[in-house]
Amino acid sequence: MTNMNLYSRNDKMFVYLNMFLVGVFTLSTLYPFIYIAALSFSSGFEARAGNVVLTPVDATIAAYKQVLSEPAFWRSYLNTFIYTIGGTLMSLAFIIPGAYALSRPQLYGRRFWNLMVAFTMWFNAGLIPFFLNMRDLGLLDSYFGIIIGFAVNGFNVILMRNFFEGVPSSFEEAARMDGANEFQVLWKVYMPLAKPAIATIALFCIVSRWNGFFWAMVLLQDQEKVPLQVYLRHTIAKLSDDQEFSVTLIDAPYSVETVTAAIIVCSIIPVLLVYPFLQKYFNKGIMLGGVKE
Amino acid sequence: MTMSPHNAPIVEPVPVEDPYAPPKGMDRVVDHLKREWQLYVMLLPLIIWLLLFLYKPMYGLQVAFKDYSIFKGVANSPWIGFEHFETLFGNDQFIRAIRNTVIISFWTLVIGFPVPILLALMFNEILNATYKKWSQTIVYLPHFISSVIIAGIVITAFSPSAGIVNTFLGWFGVEPIYFLTKAEWFRPIFVGTGIWQEAGFQSIVYLAAIAGVSPTLYESAVVDGASRWQMMWKITIPSIMTTIIIMLIIRIGNILEVSFEMIILLYQPATYETADVVNTFIYRQGLQAGQYDFAAAAGLFNAVIAFVLVISANALSRRYSRTSLW
Amino acid sequence: MTGVNLESITKRYGAVQVVHSIDLEVQSQEFVVLVGPSGCGKSTTLRMIAGLEEISDGKLTIDDRVMNRTAPKDRDVAMVFQNYALYPHLNVSENIAFGLRIRRESKEAIASSVDEVAGILGLTDYLERRPADLSGGQRQRVAMGRAIVRRPKVFLFDEPLSNLDAKLRTQMRAEIKRLHKRLGVTSIYVTHDQVEAMTLADRIVVMNDGRIEQSGTPMELFVNPVNTFVAGFLGSPPMNQVQAVLAKGANGPQALVGGTVIDLPKLDALQNDEGRKLVLGIRPEYVTIATKGDKNQVPLEIDLVETLGSEALLHALLDGVPFVIKSETIGQISKLDAVTGFTIDPDLIRVFDGETGDALPGQDRAV
Repeated sequence: MTNMNLYSRNDKMFVYLNMFLVGVFTLSTLYPFIYIAALSFSSGFEARAGNVVLTPVDATIAAYKQVLSEPAFWRSYLNTFIYTIGGTLMSLAFIIPGAYALSRPQLYGRRFWNLMVAFTMWFNAGLIPFFLNMRDLGLLDSYFGIIIGFAVNGFNVILMRNFFEGVPSSFEEAARMDGANEFQVLWKVYMPLAKPAIATIALFCIVSRWNGFFWAMVLLQDQEKVPLQVYLRHTIAKLSDDQEFSVTLIDAPYSVETVTAAIIVCSIIPVLLVYPFLQKYFNKGIMLGGVKE
Repeated sequence: MTMSPHNAPIVEPVPVEDPYAPPKGMDRVVDHLKREWQLYVMLLPLIIWLLLFLYKPMYGLQVAFKDYSIFKGVANSPWIGFEHFETLFGNDQFIRAIRNTVIISFWTLVIGFPVPILLALMFNEILNATYKKWSQTIVYLPHFISSVIIAGIVITAFSPSAGIVNTFLGWFGVEPIYFLTKAEWFRPIFVGTGIWQEAGFQSIVYLAAIAGVSPTLYESAVVDGASRWQMMWKITIPSIMTTIIIMLIIRIGNILEVSFEMIILLYQPATYETADVVNTFIYRQGLQAGQYDFAAAAGLFNAVIAFVLVISANALSRRYSRTSLW
Repeated sequence: MTGVNLESITKRYGAVQVVHSIDLEVQSQEFVVLVGPSGCGKSTTLRMIAGLEEISDGKLTIDDRVMNRTAPKDRDVAMVFQNYALYPHLNVSENIAFGLRIRRESKEAIASSVDEVAGILGLTDYLERRPADLSGGQRQRVAMGRAIVRRPKVFLFDEPLSNLDAKLRTQMRAEIKRLHKRLGVTSIYVTHDQVEAMTLADRIVVMNDGRIEQSGTPMELFVNPVNTFVAGFLGSPPMNQVQAVLAKGANGPQALVGGTVIDLPKLDALQNDEGRKLVLGIRPEYVTIATKGDKNQVPLEIDLVETLGSEALLHALLDGVPFVIKSETIGQISKLDAVTGFTIDPDLIRVFDGETGDALPGQDRAV
């Protein structure tokens, strides 16, 4: 089927046209990133003038110098790492044992517990009650609040539970006959077996933590604690304001645009680094989560 | 049991407690917990978390019916019935938010839904594995980029002076347009951004469905002399129709779920007219203006409708495909 | 030493009873095979012995200790699963050692046990490999190694060979038999394959519908099946079962199959009750083929001859009812195409009641 020589003229036309269209879509996805990268390495003046299209104009690393010299940038970067690592570990600590228990047929009230998880995917109290609850729990403006407050999501629990349910029960039975208790069965047998599923969920958590912005903005007032995304948001907001008031920094070798672009590049890089792993696992993850209550 | 002689008096057999029988009633529960307590230790943190962070706020929804005072707390604030809801439906901004939610969702659905299907079909027709892999890798990428960054890219690209869009337009002699302050431009930009960010990733579901089509179908079609175009229409699309319909049902079920994070990042007072949706309304009224009770009422209204939609969508897809979605 | 004793063992799931009050006494060192069609309750019975299923009623003792409520790990039994349940993330040596590690045995003890078991099973060269890199037979051996290494009092096997291809199955069957001879551990083995049952068992227990139909040595069951179910289950091809009516002949009892007459053994139970419905059990191997002119032959209509090599299967019709004959081929190949009927020693016919399917009394032969 892949031998083009066997194709008719029309089929060849079709195949090439299709390749061309996919190429157009792909490039239009890629272009904004290239544009931002080019902008980040251009001088402020050229950027302002709208002369940057594909490659850096009047190339400079002034914007990066400006970004990297900002302590708040580093602080927020560090914070994002704290939230990402802490939050992902916290998520796994809740999800893995919980999902394992939910997958065991001998669990009393199994239907009820599962429904309790599933219901949270259908009905959500909304922004205000969640916010008031966090405030009542004293979790405003705290690292711990952000880390624990978003540890669990029903979809990931069900994903993990489905995986555990798919493991033949003879693994548990064999381990139990060998004398393992439930903790040992989970730790020594099911968790190693579930590595791909755990990796998938860990990656989901990492991405959502790395990108998380809204609640960090709402729950954190202390600028020392905000993550990168919130810092980035402030910088971009400044850009909009500057445009409105036409503030220009003609003398500076950088502009708000190039600085924004530089921060964007800095914040995308870690995502690009884990992206190959993401690609490997998200297909699997989507398949795992696909079906059944 | 041995038979007693016929003339012997009939003695009621004393029920002997069978020492080996499995326990009954409460004893059974106790026995089960003794054996399986570890499972419940594993489950407990998850359940406590759910109660504390998701179910307690549901209890907190009662502020929608209360005159909430920050000092009295949720439980002790006085009840006022449906007053907030009455105010809500008399509020032009809220009505506008509902209208915007529906319109934006509608366009997202109508334009955004077919694109991933088209992409999946196109990817499927690519024969060169390397080309396919790279283009897929690139179009999936924006899904993993935060909305703040996407918004940053959009704001930069559409900015009146530096933005690439205006640079392009300038080549054709068009005067710079300050897109993000123009109400009529908000929806196209928002919907387009959403497609740019998610279409590639959403195509995975369809690609998986296509991968499930038996290759022998195509081989027999080739033998029958079908062209690629015909095979796409006669084999691929009918084969993934179930998936398409299920995805459509889900999307309709989630129609109120506009990605309001992105709207918060992109809108400004000048574009509220076309951009303000229910969740951004709640955010402004509640979290920014501190009218918690009033905003919670709007949220409850939103959540109940969303719940009904999602449940109906699930029931519908269960009926359609005999598989439930979760 | 170690026997397993089942007294009125019953299994219920809610209102559905799947094992009906089974009694079974497994002697120390005995190799007992539970055999029966799928859904007959044999696996459930095994799992109740293992402790993986709760016993609804009755009493289970292992080595004279009541085990009904004992956790699987404390029963001192080991089980080989159908899918082996080998841990894919552990290598062979770690798989075998798993149970010992969980029980916190000393490192030296574990190492020497693993080495010994690997030696017995011929796995010494594969200890570092992961299950994924092993052949089916090797995986099977690792699964057994994991059971052996704990030196349990009882081995339980749950259809351990059904995932292997035919050739390997024969080979592993012999290995299990050898292993049992060498270790002498009480074993209970579940299978639906009657050949496995015949070859491995000291004693076969045929189960059907949650009950024990018959229990005895393979030859006892083969020669003296107590009912038509057992008769049809053991032997390949299975015993021919022909519906017939009892009649009185000049020399003793006879059976009428439609218009065909077959002499029966002179059993007390067949002296009266003319017209009684019977089922004649005739093993395909016990029959002698007859050609035109042979006397006292039961006429057959040959449908198809399958030549297997040293023997052949003749598919025939006996008064319109399918009937199979297994015959030697050497020296008779020309005869096979000319078969017109068969002859049989009446004493080799097993007679069952036509209504109940139970074997008539007084016809058991020594084995």
